[in-house]
Amino acid sequence: MSAVAAVGRSRRTRLRYITERRGFLATLLISPAVLFILALVGVPLVLAVYLSFTDAQAGSLTGKWVGLANFRHAVHDPIFRGALWHTFLFTVISQVVVILCAGLIAHAFIRKFRGRWALRFFILLPWAAPIALTAIGFLWFYDPQASIFNWFLIKLHIVSASHVPNWLGTPKAAMSSIITVQAWRTIPFAVVIFLAGISSIPQEVDDAAAIDGATGLRKFWYVSLPLQLPIAMVAILFGIVFTATDMIVPFILTNGGPFNSTQVLTTYAFQTGINAGNIGEGAAVALFMLPVLALVVIGMLVFARRAEVT
Amino acid sequence: MKSGWRYNAFSYGVAIPFAIVLAFPFFWMAVTSFKPEAQVYDPTKVWSFHPTLANYGFLFHHTDYLRWIRNSCFVGLMVVLITLLVALPAGYALARLSGRVGRSMGVGIFLTYLVPPTLLFLPLSRVIAQYLHLSDRLWALIVVYPSFTIPFAIWLLMGFFKTIPQELEDAALIDGCSRLGSLVRIVFPISIPGILTVVIFTFSLVVNEFVYAITFISSSTNRTLTVGVPTDLIRGDLFNWPGIMAAILIPSIPLALVYNAFLNRFIAGFTGGAFR
Amino acid sequence: MSDVKDEPREEGRRLSRRELLKKAGAGAAAAGAAGAAAPFSFAGPMRFKNRFLKGDLSIIQWVHFVPAYDDWFDNTWVKQWGEKNDVQVNVEHINNTLLDTRAAAEVAAQSGHDLFFNLHPMASYEDQVINHAPIIKEIERKVGKYGPLAKASTYNPKTKKYFAVSDNYVPDPVVWRHDLWNGIGEAPFTWDHVRKAAPKLKAIGHPIGIGQSQELDSNMALLAFMMCFGSFVQSDANRPTLNSKNTIQAVNFMADIYKNGEDPAIFGWNPASNNNYLYAGTASMILNAISATRTPEAQNLPFSKDLWIWPIPHGPHGRLGLEHVMGCYNIWKFSQNKENAQQFLVDLCVNYKQATMASQLYNFPSFPGAFPFKQIRKAAAADKNKPNGKYTILTTIAEKYTHNIGYPGTTNAAMDEVFSKYLIPQMFAQVSQGKMSAADSVKSINSQVKDIYAKWRARGKI
Repeated sequence: MSAVAAVGRSRRTRLRYITERRGFLATLLISPAVLFILALVGVPLVLAVYLSFTDAQAGSLTGKWVGLANFRHAVHDPIFRGALWHTFLFTVISQVVVILCAGLIAHAFIRKFRGRWALRFFILLPWAAPIALTAIGFLWFYDPQASIFNWFLIKLHIVSASHVPNWLGTPKAAMSSIITVQAWRTIPFAVVIFLAGISSIPQEVDDAAAIDGATGLRKFWYVSLPLQLPIAMVAILFGIVFTATDMIVPFILTNGGPFNSTQVLTTYAFQTGINAGNIGEGAAVALFMLPVLALVVIGMLVFARRAEVT
Repeated sequence: MKSGWRYNAFSYGVAIPFAIVLAFPFFWMAVTSFKPEAQVYDPTKVWSFHPTLANYGFLFHHTDYLRWIRNSCFVGLMVVLITLLVALPAGYALARLSGRVGRSMGVGIFLTYLVPPTLLFLPLSRVIAQYLHLSDRLWALIVVYPSFTIPFAIWLLMGFFKTIPQELEDAALIDGCSRLGSLVRIVFPISIPGILTVVIFTFSLVVNEFVYAITFISSSTNRTLTVGVPTDLIRGDLFNWPGIMAAILIPSIPLALVYNAFLNRFIAGFTGGAFR
Repeated sequence: MSDVKDEPREEGRRLSRRELLKKAGAGAAAAGAAGAAAPFSFAGPMRFKNRFLKGDLSIIQWVHFVPAYDDWFDNTWVKQWGEKNDVQVNVEHINNTLLDTRAAAEVAAQSGHDLFFNLHPMASYEDQVINHAPIIKEIERKVGKYGPLAKASTYNPKTKKYFAVSDNYVPDPVVWRHDLWNGIGEAPFTWDHVRKAAPKLKAIGHPIGIGQSQELDSNMALLAFMMCFGSFVQSDANRPTLNSKNTIQAVNFMADIYKNGEDPAIFGWNPASNNNYLYAGTASMILNAISATRTPEAQNLPFSKDLWIWPIPHGPHGRLGLEHVMGCYNIWKFSQNKENAQQFLVDLCVNYKQATMASQLYNFPSFPGAFPFKQIRKAAAADKNKPNGKYTILTTIAEKYTHNIGYPGTTNAAMDEVFSKYLIPQMFAQVSQGKMSAADSVKSINSQVKDIYAKWRARGKI
């Protein structure tokens, strides 16, 4: 009896000993996540890479090997080159707007003031609402007949009734429309991240700065900004990645129009791969961003680590 | 004491204009949602106020709207659960136990987001249909969504766990707790704000998703909110604008309220909430 | 009964017997109220009434622009057919813009609905579907020949395969405001008349509304417009012929109409926009199916009596139009219930008279024998909307002025790709907006078209 108990106890302690070892525990804890991602992101990614080297059509997941033909064809395609440029514009401009606005808003919300809760609620709305639905809502706001923006512009005599901007119908206006909507919905997200970052700056830093006589703008530039750089970097990175790989806003608002002037890589990949049935080419277009984005991400992370203050 | 009128002026001066600009579309949505459908295009009746609840009634009685909301909530909650279950241990491990490996894993997390779902859904649909036999079931979404919520959750939690000082756990270890035990008994209770954060962000990622929802679900009763609205409220030629506006408002306001409520806890989490 | 199938599964696709009969009850009431399908009941007694049904059939199709059709289809036709044939039928409706996505997903998954409907024949999916020839032969035995329009749209002469069965097509008239045109003393007989009238109409605040956007209606309208000028994307041998003097002339002509008589809004439209343009009372003319007149009738808009329906205006090369949409069903190779699917299609096409009436004359049968033109004309003449008899012109349009996409060739995968990439609206819009000359625009689009054709020829599909 006691022998069994002794064996049982030693088995338990052996188990405990194993779970005490750092490496093993770490692997154990990380493995479900890794497995999940490998299965649901890794495998389809490999398949998508394979497809981009074939001439797969119409939903089929196999095709004849064609090497780099899809990529070569894309590079020669004027619509694709346009999509590349539009993706760059769309991502960079919207995220710059987001960072500037979010930074400003976050600083305004640090300390309590009356009505802060309500104002924060209004600012969170664009992010809380599902984007697929709000994008359809913006179709209504930009409607050529009944746009409320145009109504205001006319009432304020900024434009005349016969020359209202065609928000979704001319290249420049359409581009600015999708950039606006993307910035509109990302700002609250960035604000939240900034708020976290600002709050994580310990009080001691503030006090030390005050002792050293750094106040106001000077304090902001030399103390707060460098400390907030890591968190700003995170907001920028996620913003860039989510914007560059997201197709909902351009897809719903303009579907790439007018005549492909707001076509971004994701919508073009969709149009080529799904609507036109050209899976291989669509995969090639979609994957084009991958190395570029990877470089951008790694570059920024390296920069962030160098600039980290701790 | 820094909170003088200057600071308040700055706060109000920034917060109020931005709040107006960001929230105005929702105000206009509300106005439109109470208009009778025939008046919506009438330029003479832009601001006329003859409110009607007909559009809301239509949503609730003539479409599966409530069911879509239920489906979205169900998927959201399940995905949040799965994400927490998988990301909490992983985030902790990466923050504490893996040093250099942890940092490169952090980079790796970003890289999983570089793959757009615009084409991923094709190979995934084969997996869902053939190998998992989950075609047209909400479980298909519940299985797939964590693939993009987990990386972000891990990153959030990593950052969060790093703010919890190692001393707390070391103290527990000295007191005779096992490593796992200190994890469960000391760290997790403190990490409630972090968990709430993950809940908010995960839920918002789920609710925003469109491509997979369209692909894997076809029957009207199984649709989520993002799919049901474009499908049933847009009849090809005809956009039921007031109905659509109502459909957007109904989930947005509660969600924003909840996020707002959680926000304080979330921020407290990052403010070194470990110090009581 | 411990039959597992009898449980009402919340998420499952199958309706329990109880739910099916409950829906039937509601459907019967709805059908009675709608009146459209009431006089016609399905031929033959219901063999398996009130019994649990054995077979299965799943269908996916669009949300019809005319709601009454979906009412009839879901609640009367499908229910009765299912009862008669001992098959549990499940119909899904999704927005037509999402059908392509679902098709790709179903093929990638190699699993999906037994019957897949789309608004254009999915020529590029030819390898994924069965050969539909036996179905067509069966229907032809009962009601007569497959219409030439449908055949040109769903048959591949190179591989000798029918890659879809078209049950219906929709004629595409011009819908114009008689009161406005009358006021300036004009009518859209020919495109020249349109060009002359355009500036005058715009001056009174009612421009023309022919879109040049990346969407279905613009695609159709501009392709048809081109044909009236003798400009064709492909020849009858399915070889690309886009770059021609006629094309350049057509592009310039439309640019002229735009500059003098249209609103810049037309470049940012979706398929609903030209309709909304009309419903708001602004547009003086659009090219659209009769959903554009049925909605004003239903909503009692003030000018609904002044909306006239005419064939497409005459151009230098003639009066040639396209179908607005063509409803096509196909059966995947991996469908689980091919026999039920085939039987359903046969029965639907044979009895298409009911469908046409239920759709308020939107759907015209692809097998003309099911509802001969003379009878359709009579039904149209009986339509109560003013001006009386205005819908009778639809039969003339259907008989004489409706061609398939890709006329004079057949609708094939290359043409489908040109269509899906919206190359034609792009070609027109670039010139109308002054971005490049007509010659340059046509040349650049033509090179893309040639690439597409070369690719599909290399695959042996054309």
